[in-house]
Amino acid sequence: MTFFRGTNLRKSFLALATPVALSAAIVAFGHAQNATPAAAARPRSTVGSQGPLPVHEVFTKASIDSGGTLFQQNCAFCHGKDAGGGESGPDLTRSKLVTSDKNGEAIGAVIKSGRVEKGMPRFTLPDTDVMNLVAFVHSQQDKAMSQTGVRKGVDVSDLQTGNVEAGKAYFNGAGTCSTCHSPTGNLAGIASKYEGLKLEEQMLYPSDAKAKVTVTTSARKTLTGQLSYIDEFTVGLTDSDGIYHSWPTDNVRYKVDAPFKAHVALFDKYTDADIHNLMAYLQTLR
Amino acid sequence: MTSLRNTSLLTLAAAAILACTRLSSAQNVDAAWLTHPPADSWPAYHGDYSGKRHSELTEITPQNVKDLSPAWIFQTNQSLEIKATPILVDGILYFTLPDNIWAIDARTGHQLWRYTAPPNKAFHIGQRGVSIYKGSLYYMSSDAHLLSLDPKNGKVRWDVEVADASKGHWATMAPLIVGNHVLVGASGDFDNLQGFIRSIDAETGKTQWQWDATPPVGTAKKATGGSAWMTGTYDPDLNLVYWGTGNPTPVLTGAPRPGDNLYTCSIVALNPETGKLAWAFQPSPHDTHDWDAVETPVLVDGDFHGQPRKMLMQASRNGYFFVLDRATGKSLLTTTFGPVNWSKGIDKNGQPIPNPEKEPAPDGRIIAPDEGGLTNYRSPSFDPKTGLFLVNASPSFSIYFAKPADGTYGWAGADYGVWSKSVLEAIDYQTGKIRWSHELGDGRSGAGVMTTASGLTFTGDVAGNFLALDTSDGKTLWHMGSGGHISSPSITYELDGHQYVLTSSGGVLFAWTLPRAPHSGTHQAE
Repeated sequence: MTFFRGTNLRKSFLALATPVALSAAIVAFGHAQNATPAAAARPRSTVGSQGPLPVHEVFTKASIDSGGTLFQQNCAFCHGKDAGGGESGPDLTRSKLVTSDKNGEAIGAVIKSGRVEKGMPRFTLPDTDVMNLVAFVHSQQDKAMSQTGVRKGVDVSDLQTGNVEAGKAYFNGAGTCSTCHSPTGNLAGIASKYEGLKLEEQMLYPSDAKAKVTVTTSARKTLTGQLSYIDEFTVGLTDSDGIYHSWPTDNVRYKVDAPFKAHVALFDKYTDADIHNLMAYLQTLR
Repeated sequence: MTSLRNTSLLTLAAAAILACTRLSSAQNVDAAWLTHPPADSWPAYHGDYSGKRHSELTEITPQNVKDLSPAWIFQTNQSLEIKATPILVDGILYFTLPDNIWAIDARTGHQLWRYTAPPNKAFHIGQRGVSIYKGSLYYMSSDAHLLSLDPKNGKVRWDVEVADASKGHWATMAPLIVGNHVLVGASGDFDNLQGFIRSIDAETGKTQWQWDATPPVGTAKKATGGSAWMTGTYDPDLNLVYWGTGNPTPVLTGAPRPGDNLYTCSIVALNPETGKLAWAFQPSPHDTHDWDAVETPVLVDGDFHGQPRKMLMQASRNGYFFVLDRATGKSLLTTTFGPVNWSKGIDKNGQPIPNPEKEPAPDGRIIAPDEGGLTNYRSPSFDPKTGLFLVNASPSFSIYFAKPADGTYGWAGADYGVWSKSVLEAIDYQTGKIRWSHELGDGRSGAGVMTTASGLTFTGDVAGNFLALDTSDGKTLWHMGSGGHISSPSITYELDGHQYVLTSSGGVLFAWTLPRAPHSGTHQAE
């Protein structure tokens, strides 16, 4: 159900020359248990510290507080009370989209249009409410990134327990990965593209992969394109010109080509050690 | 306090005499009514006390369901999804969204009144409906208060705090009403809180008794949690209420709370007069995956392997399907109904044995099902004719993490869904075998299930299609794209001699019925 994941931010953006204006407001909503004050200065090297803090608009305490209330009402069940991830929504304090947002242009768009395909509804809220939510989410990310030594969530360093050789053997053997993937072909540089949790998620199931579909109509016409819609009753594709076509499933023959679905068959077969070893091997493909 | 059994016998006798002449009205919804709901009503969350969500109505059949047409549509104009089961009494439907109650005319779908709660900071995850008894509506607010309202106009008569929202409690449930007991609970597993079931006097709002699922907060080496945040079921003959309790807290980290963590992730049988525990069965001993066992404890009377039994069935979030003898709590059958990889098998009591290797760990563990579970709060249905237990299942895999830095408060870990799909499973309760499956698409469907005596199953798919299936084989007989995400199960009732089906999608309510001769249009108005 997740639609984007914050990755470890250490290398995801350039060091910024401008000093960061940090809102020192500590968000106090009804039941904050152990709010951690924003650190005055970032220690040089701590577990989970991720480099410079993001640059964004300075928000007022009133706006952050108001956003905190709205967040509890509308967002917390999926994203967690502190925006650190929850029932079905990702950890917003580790979100690259949040990091890149300056003044609501990115976060606001997600709030307003939702991520319907991932289970996040659209929210019809007045602009001031949206901006207050933006303020709260930024304040939570700043706060989380300022914590020292107690960073929650999953770090790249957590995912280093596997064995490279065993992973390589699994890749080429029992895992059957090598039937579709090659370390010098479609996986070349994969560890430079993704790291940590994001790499592991992509490895287990590349949820952004697009399926193809070939449809043969009753008039014996065949079309191939990207699968854009499928349910029990209708199949829809987008052709190479970007044009969408759909048909009732009982009037046509169609074949979905989704090689990434082979990953589903592996879920039952993996041991946890297999996953950790595979991760170790994939992380060598820089 | 009189024994409920005697009162309900008396009222039943009285009801039998009055049955022909009774004018239905919200004033008359009493124990007899709730025990045997008239065909022109759906007076409680599950429809009746059993939780079967099975209707005896037969006007809509597998042959004519293809003609099902909209009678009316009601728009809440809210962005929240309807997760409520509407209730129907005397031609009026009452249903909810968080902070909202509507009363609408079941003939036209026009609004009679709307109640809106004062702003509050609690979670607004969902609201599952109001309950009715003797001329009062009972509503659990998002911030865990119980309100008694006048069904005529939505005016609040009294408001009592059930749990302290400032500590992290919130509420979603439709109360279960047994005699003059309004049975409620609250939730909140982002915090370490004590779960409970409380009985509140329907008339005065005073607490009659409370049953605590877990020891007081701060008890060494003991779990908190065990929230009762869904509606239980009731057997008037055994005079026991059955309830599922939520997961322990801290949620993903088990070390601070060694042992089974009773009574979290449990099915409990309580005496409604006293709150005394008759028996408990634990679907998930020492849960570390957020798999509360709050799914409907469905009560079925019938044959089990050649013997008449009073059974309780639950398709649980952790991936197991249980059949229990509901008089004793003893296991009759335990089986999985989809991918499950976290247990080492089943113990002598029919309870799964959690595999310690599958507790969340710093480098991650692959777990089936995912945190949302193989099924979730949406109601299943039991069809007596076929002996099928029908449930929306989501085969799924996820990765679970926990490390000391996550602490021992609230979530205390992180989990990430990797893949899921949805399928309607028809489980033969005698064997646990799946008789048929109906694929519902990639992702999660939350439509819940309702069956009717004519052999129909109503549900919905991931794409937002309302579906009517043939209960005998799962084949689709009717569908309608709803334009939204379906988050509530259907209900059905009779109105003016015709059967209606009510479904919801997003913030919109749809009433369906069979086409009839056009209205003559000759008004008799003076």
